[in-house]
Amino acid sequence: MITEYDLSGFICPLSKVKATEVINNLDEGETVRIILGDRDSLKSVVQELKTRDMKPDFKQENESRFALTFSK
Amino acid sequence: MTKQKLNHKLRVYSDITQLIASPENPTPLVRVNKINPNKDFQIYLKLERYNPFGSVKDRIAHEMLKAMEVGDRTVVEPSSGNTGIALTCIANALGIPVEIAVPEKIPEEKKVMLRFLGAKLTEADDALCPLFPTEGARGIVNALIKSPATKDRYISPNQYENELNVQAHYRGTGPEIWQQTQGKVNYFFAGFGTCGTITGVGRYLKEQNPAIKIIGVEPASSNHKLPGMKRITGLAEEFIPKILDYSVIDETIGVADEDAYGTAIDLARRDGIPVGPTTGAILYAALRYAESRPGLAVVISPDDAFKYASFYKDVLEREAEASRREGNDYRI
Repeated sequence: MITEYDLSGFICPLSKVKATEVINNLDEGETVRIILGDRDSLKSVVQELKTRDMKPDFKQENESRFALTFSK
Repeated sequence: MTKQKLNHKLRVYSDITQLIASPENPTPLVRVNKINPNKDFQIYLKLERYNPFGSVKDRIAHEMLKAMEVGDRTVVEPSSGNTGIALTCIANALGIPVEIAVPEKIPEEKKVMLRFLGAKLTEADDALCPLFPTEGARGIVNALIKSPATKDRYISPNQYENELNVQAHYRGTGPEIWQQTQGKVNYFFAGFGTCGTITGVGRYLKEQNPAIKIIGVEPASSNHKLPGMKRITGLAEEFIPKILDYSVIDETIGVADEDAYGTAIDLARRDGIPVGPTTGAILYAALRYAESRPGLAVVISPDDAFKYASFYKDVLEREAEASRREGNDYRI
């Protein structure tokens, strides 16, 4: 099961703070999907995942909806 | 309703905000004696710690909050501590909830104070936000007041852009200095932070006497340990506080941390005045001026030493270690 966190209502860096909370609370093997609402947020969260060696699957759903799916 | 005339001689007040300094009830000017060898260049510290919540920021917090229509929103503000403490105290008196975003690196004492006062505290890594590259706390607050999910719940005084920050000093601190020096002030020294003090006081004093020199003090490098101070030199235009009026500033001086802390410690030990490290930085610049000029200078002292005890502890431990290495420690 994939848990989805819709953070599209938060701009950067609040989106990054919220996403970091999600990442920090991930269990081993757990998969989550984070929805972001702007490109600055996307860039920040991708960077955060990169520093942790986590590779997300990216999907742009529309102009203001970006989905990142990743596992621990 | 007529405004109640306060009797500052009796010092009986109906609420704590009435203690905030004003031309009728100024913060003291105290002359620096022993650490200034030039008797022809008198330096007076404007001791803002005598405001009720302990710093120069009491003035602007009051000015900004009383002009805001908060409604059922929460007041949120980025702060290196002093504005947060002042806003929280005043908001508590008014029954308004407060959230303060602070840089992680501010002294622990200030964080404890904010929690003690009941503010919700968010600690932000300075590198958190690409929009505010060295000020994550500003980024957090910017996001709270602009995010679709939160914007209806928050309101920010925004001390970096709020003209009332300047007005508090133009109507208060500036006239106080002019009256207290009987118009004899030649130099005014203040730090760059939000830039409200230097702009407001500078503008007022220049209007009284255009020959008065206004000197701005900044950290010598952007990586510094002088909370509340900002290095303006080299800063991209979009990150310079919008309320800064360069036209009132005659010179900018950069001061290194060790000179700031050293001056503050020297002042405490030789003149008996315990101040924060930003006062040390501003005073250091004034003392350099004193080496070669006559005149009367006023130095803003934003706050006291007590809330920086943990920062001073590091400096004092290094001093003790150096003393031990030199064989000057006679403890058994």
